[in-house]
Amino acid sequence: MTVVLRRTALCLAAVALVATGCTTKPADSASGGAPKDDASTGTSAGPVTLKDGSQVKLALIPGGAHPYFQPWKTVAAVDKADFKLGDATFNETGEWDQGKQNNVINSLAAQGYNAFGIFGVSPTDINSTFEDLKAKGFAVGSLASCPAGDTNAADFCLSTDVEAAAYKAAKATIEAIGGEGAIVHLTGNNVDSNTQRRIAGVKKAIAETNGKVTELPVITDIDKDLSTAQKAVADLLASKGKEIKGIVTTAYNPAVAAADGVASSKLPIKVVAIDDDAKILSGIKSGGVAATVTQNPTGQAYIGGWLLALLQSKQCTMKTPGVIVDSGSFVVTKTNVDTYDEERKAKTTALKTEFEKQLSCQ
Amino acid sequence: MTAPVSETATQALQEDAPIEKPPRGAPWWANQRIGLLVLVVLLGVLFGILRPAFYNQQLVIFPLLRDIAMFTVVGLAQLCVLSIGHMNLAVGRMAAFSMMLTGISYDLFHLTLYSGLLVGLVAGTAIGALAGWVIARTGVNSFVVTLALDFLLLGLIPLVYTGLTDNAAFVTKPPGMRELRNYSLADVCVGNVCGSPAVPQLALFAVVAMAVVGWIYARTRLGRELLMTGSSVKAAELSGIPTARRVITAHAMSGCLAALAGFMLAVSTGSIKATIGEEFMLPSFLGPILGGTLLAGGFVSIWGTLIGTALTSVIRKGLDLLGVGLESLNIYLGLILLVALSTDRVRTVLSERQEVRRQ
Repeated sequence: MTVVLRRTALCLAAVALVATGCTTKPADSASGGAPKDDASTGTSAGPVTLKDGSQVKLALIPGGAHPYFQPWKTVAAVDKADFKLGDATFNETGEWDQGKQNNVINSLAAQGYNAFGIFGVSPTDINSTFEDLKAKGFAVGSLASCPAGDTNAADFCLSTDVEAAAYKAAKATIEAIGGEGAIVHLTGNNVDSNTQRRIAGVKKAIAETNGKVTELPVITDIDKDLSTAQKAVADLLASKGKEIKGIVTTAYNPAVAAADGVASSKLPIKVVAIDDDAKILSGIKSGGVAATVTQNPTGQAYIGGWLLALLQSKQCTMKTPGVIVDSGSFVVTKTNVDTYDEERKAKTTALKTEFEKQLSCQ
Repeated sequence: MTAPVSETATQALQEDAPIEKPPRGAPWWANQRIGLLVLVVLLGVLFGILRPAFYNQQLVIFPLLRDIAMFTVVGLAQLCVLSIGHMNLAVGRMAAFSMMLTGISYDLFHLTLYSGLLVGLVAGTAIGALAGWVIARTGVNSFVVTLALDFLLLGLIPLVYTGLTDNAAFVTKPPGMRELRNYSLADVCVGNVCGSPAVPQLALFAVVAMAVVGWIYARTRLGRELLMTGSSVKAAELSGIPTARRVITAHAMSGCLAALAGFMLAVSTGSIKATIGEEFMLPSFLGPILGGTLLAGGFVSIWGTLIGTALTSVIRKGLDLLGVGLESLNIYLGLILLVALSTDRVRTVLSERQEVRRQ
């Protein structure tokens, strides 16, 4: 039996080898690689309109399923209609694993998608993925998160400046508690470089109070799901609820859990949340949540899609490849809870103008 | 000196369950691995018909083979401890621990790619041997010891990363790492004839690991002693096999292979980070068990591990290409695996009936 199996396996290995095929060495190995960019080097002056997006197949790929990215699904369809793209899709099957996300990207590329807006699961790894895609001649944008370090191998990065957003959230918390007392920071995966940036942003705001505001140890790794966050918040309120004056959250699930937990405990703690989940917005209206810092996922996907179509259709090139642009973060309080979306739309329009200056177009 | 250890090891190894081995004299088609192999080929053909892009060498076959190679090594890491009837729940964290030391060796000591790999393999072997020694010395179940070790490393690894790095990852890439990620056998030429561009060079690590592990279990006394320890500890002890030492050896081999898998993952994704190996645990069981390795110990299948791993990877890749959404993907994956295993059971029953009729 074992002999039969071995023979079968060897035969299959031989068949696989023949199927995948041997190759002959090219005459000039150095001449391969990415297709050359045929865009002219003229500089754009004024509005840039996509001439022909029919050959562009756009893929918007978050790291996995998360409420933050749900607007991208709608925007992919809007991009397709507004820019008359060949196709546009949204794929969230990466399951927050860089290897799986790379597989999803490769599968989409094999199906003809040629412009990629990607939220990389691992900021320290995603440049390798971008380099692979660029080498194959695809347009790549890093959306909602930039690679860690000083280099961005994508054509551009359009993302919330997470350190600035965390700084704004901490400032709003400090203001809400009257400028003194203890606050605690609830956030996501500790071994994620974006989390480290958020922690730095909060610490910066606290340092500016010259000791009037103190920070309890940061609570990390509670953004996996809502129940993990709820448990952490319940433990926190039970053990230190009386000494805490404010909670600043820089991740989605901790924000929802903190808003709920503080409301049900009836402790006089000021909560500053992140994003604009319906629960958080109603908390702001009722006064249970002091403020929230919203981001611009719709703008990221819409402007990102427009830019990727310009790049992949070879109508434009980036003047500075790898440029990083902040997609905006907005502090929402009771006073502007009904109007903040106008501010966000204005930012999206401003982003388009900003990128037009970054392009060289035919 | 060794007697007490042997006694406690005997207690630790009392994890026996009824062993179900393939019946002798069964027809070739009743062999579980051949069945799986046929299934992998059929699925490959089916996905290829539904989506011709499935045969795209650069974008589908190359990354698919890279994944299969890596998860086969992960499966082999679990197979080593399954051979003695144990399990290693810290297989992913052992990979993370080993790669942490490899990352330190690249970042702080500027070692070459393969010197760093050697550091990782030694670290993996050491942490595996430690787990094995604790099991053999204390008699505590391998499930408990490796689970405790997993928690220990879960706390330790992020501490080191946050202490030593800015971005919770070692991003130094020694010369050759980028090439190893992207190069295929097309970059290996004899004269003007080169290999296939669909086969990643990284897959050679899995081939070497399979050859070495296969050789140990099929050709050496150590392998036979490991399997015998897995079949029956008491019988092994009565035969003069130092079972406690074999427990340590099996866990050390597991740690070493986990380190190799961690290295392959780090190379294929681009950096060495604290989360390496987080996804290893389930695939580490899936490949060997689908391939016929017994949970109770005493029987392993190296080829089966490769085929079992290939089955799950091919299904996932095919579903990806078919554009199956997140909600449905895992349902289909589970259903196909269930059908595969049910078919296998039907095949075994049919073969047994055929045997009965012959008698």
